[in-house]
Amino acid sequence: MHAVVCVKQVPEQNSVKINSDTTIDASGITPIINLFDEYAIEEALQWAEKNDGKVTVISLGPDDATDSLKKALAMGANEAILINDDSLGQVGAQGAAKVVAAAIQKLGDVNIVFCGKQSTDDETGQFGPALARFLGWPQLTYVFKVHELTDSQIVVDRALEDTLETVEASLPVVITAVKDLNEPRYPSLLKIRKVSKQPIPTWTLSDLGLSADSLGGTINIAKRTPPPPRPSGEILSGDVQTQVKELVQKLIESQIL
Amino acid sequence: MAHGVWVLIEHKNGEIAPITKELLGKGKELADGLGQSLAGLVLGSNVSGLVEQARAAGAGNVYVVDDAALASYTTDGYVAAAKAAIEAHQPEVLLTGSSLQMRDFTGALAAELGTGLAPDVTGVSIEGGAVQAVRPSHGANVINALTFGSERPMIVSVRRQVGQPLDAAGSGETINVAMPQTEIRTKVRNVEQRTGAVNLADAMVIVSGGRGMGSPENYEKLIPELARVLGGTHGASRAIVDAGWVPYERQVGQTGKTVAPKLYMACGISGAIQHLAGMRSSNTIVAINKDPEAPIFKVATYGIVGDVNDVLPALTEEVKAKTGR
Ligand SMILES: Cc1cc2nc3c(=O)[nH]c(=O)nc-3n(C[C@H](O)[C@H](O)[C@H](O)COP(=O)(O)OP(=O)(O)OC[C@H]3O[C@@H](n4cnc5c(N)ncnc54)[C@H](O)[C@@H]3O)c2cc1C
Ligand SMILES: Nc1ncnc2c1ncn2[C@@H]1O[C@H](COP(=O)(O)O)[C@@H](O)[C@H]1O
Repeated sequence: MHAVVCVKQVPEQNSVKINSDTTIDASGITPIINLFDEYAIEEALQWAEKNDGKVTVISLGPDDATDSLKKALAMGANEAILINDDSLGQVGAQGAAKVVAAAIQKLGDVNIVFCGKQSTDDETGQFGPALARFLGWPQLTYVFKVHELTDSQIVVDRALEDTLETVEASLPVVITAVKDLNEPRYPSLLKIRKVSKQPIPTWTLSDLGLSADSLGGTINIAKRTPPPPRPSGEILSGDVQTQVKELVQKLIESQIL
Repeated sequence: MAHGVWVLIEHKNGEIAPITKELLGKGKELADGLGQSLAGLVLGSNVSGLVEQARAAGAGNVYVVDDAALASYTTDGYVAAAKAAIEAHQPEVLLTGSSLQMRDFTGALAAELGTGLAPDVTGVSIEGGAVQAVRPSHGANVINALTFGSERPMIVSVRRQVGQPLDAAGSGETINVAMPQTEIRTKVRNVEQRTGAVNLADAMVIVSGGRGMGSPENYEKLIPELARVLGGTHGASRAIVDAGWVPYERQVGQTGKTVAPKLYMACGISGAIQHLAGMRSSNTIVAINKDPEAPIFKVATYGIVGDVNDVLPALTEEVKAKTGR
C-alpha cells in the first residue's frame, strides 16, 4: 500500500492582514500543519503500518512549507514532496487539486490519498472532492472512522450533520478526515533530529507537465475585506432580576421570542 | 441565450428541504437580475411528488432525473445525473445548500465539469450584471467577494438564511432527463441517526457554555434547559469539548461548527478569536460573563456582566414566565 497525505501549511491563527492586491499577509504568524491534516497523517501512518505500506506527504506551498513536511516525516512518513512554482501563488483549491493530482499520477503506484476535510484558512472543503475527480477515483469525505482498509478495499463511517453513513469502496480512493478520527502522535525529538537532514525534492509545474494557464480562472477574488464591525452592543445594568427582565423584553421586541 | 438559474431540489423522506425553499427565493432574485428563468433540478428515485412541491415553492421548469440508482446519495450517482441534465440544458447558475453532502457533491461536480464553485457562501447577488458570491474565510476574519470565469454553470453552495422563501408558485414544464450509464463506486451499507447528533447549523437559537460554567454538571443543569425554553439547542466552546464535558458535535468555532442563528447566547465563554470565527455572523448575540473585559462583549448585541450561576436560572425562569414553555 502506498498512501499519500495532502498537507497544507496554514497560519496558526487567523488574524491575517489583507494586502491591497487581495493577497493574504500572514507574516509574523506561526505556520502549522492544517489541523485536519494531522488526523489524515495519523490515519495513513496507522494503516500503512498494518499493511506493510509506505506514506508520502505532499504539500503545494511556499519554500517554508518544508517545515510542515518535516514534521510529517518526524511523525513517521517515509517521503515528502514539495510542489512550489512561482506561478502558483494565487492558485485556488480546484487548481491546487489539479496540480497535486498530477504529482500523484507521477508517483504512479499510489492507491489511497488522505486529505483533511477542510483547511482552516481558505476553508473551501473543495480540494479532496476535486482531487478525486482529477484522479478519476471515488471519494469518501468527512471520514470519522476507518473500519477496514486493505490493498483492495476500504470501509468507513462518514459523519454528516445528523447521520452516520457506513460506506465501502474499492481502492484507489481519496478520503477526507474530520477531527477526532484518531489521536495524532507527537514526533519525538530524536525523530525530529533524524529527519532534519532528509532531502525534500521540490517539483515545479513543468516537472508535472502542467502550465499555469490550465489551472485558474474559474473563480476570481474580486475583493477581500475585513468583516464588517458589529453594531456596538449594549451592556445591561441593574441587578440580576432587572437585567434578565430587560433582556427578555428586548428578545420579545425583536421577535426572537 | 438564457438558460436559467437552477436550484437543486434537496429532499428527505419525500419532503423538500427548508434550505431549498430559501434558495428558490434567492434564485428568483438572481434570475430576475440576469433576465433569466428560475428552474429546479430534482435528483432521486420515485420523486414525482417533489416536482409539484418544487413548483409550489416557486420553481418554473423542473428538470428531473428519476432513477433507482439515485435512491440514496452517492457522489458518483449525483454527479453523473446532474452532469447529464446540465449538459443537455445548459444552465447559467446552479445553487445548492451547503450541508456536508452538498459540499461533497459540488466539489466533485465543479471539477468534473471544469467550472467554478463558490463554496459555503453567505451571500450571492448580481453586481454590475454579473453573479458575485460572498464567503468568509480565515475564521471569518476575511470576507471574500468572488466572481466567476467564463465556464458555466456557476456553482454556488449557500448557507441557511441567505434567501427568503417565495409566496408565489411557479409555472413551467417538467423535463425528464435519462440517468446515464454510471458505475457507482461507493456502496452505502448503512445510515443511522447519530447518537447525540445535533444540527447546530439549522438551529434558530443556540445557547453555548464555556469554561466559565465551572463543571460538566453545572453545564448540564443550566444550559440545555435555557436552550429548551428559548426553543433552541445548546453548544459549547472548544475548552469544554477538549475537557470532555460536551461531545465534539456541539463545538462552535474555527475547528467546530460555523453557525449563524437568530440568537446566539455565550455563557461563560471568553470570546477567543477561534470561537468568534464560528458565531460572529449570528443575528443577535447575548454574552453573559463575569469579566467586563472579556472579548466576547465586543461582538455582543446585549451583554450581562455577571455570574452564570445567578443569571442563567433567573433568565430561564423569566423566559418560562413570558412564554409559558
Ligand atoms: C487552532 C485552534 C483552533 C481552535 N478552535 C476553536 C473552536 O473551534 N472553538 C472554540 O471555542 N475555541 C477554539 N479554540 C480555542 C480558543 O482559543 C479558546 O481557548 C477557547 O475558545 C476558550 O474557551 P472558553 O471561552 O470556554 O474558556 P476561557 O477562555 O477559559 O474563558 C472562560 C470565560 O468564562 C468566564 N467566567 C468564569 N467563571 C464565570 C462565571 N461563574 N460566570 C460567568 N463567567 C465566568 C471568564 O471570565 C472567561 O471569560 C481553538 C484554538 C486553536 C489554537
Ligand atoms: N496547497 C495544498 N497542498 C496540499 N494539500 C492541500 C493544499 N490545499 C488543500 N489541501 C488538502 O485539502 C484539504 C482541504 O482543503 P480546502 O479545500 O482548502 O478546504 C486540506 O486539509 C489538505 O489535505
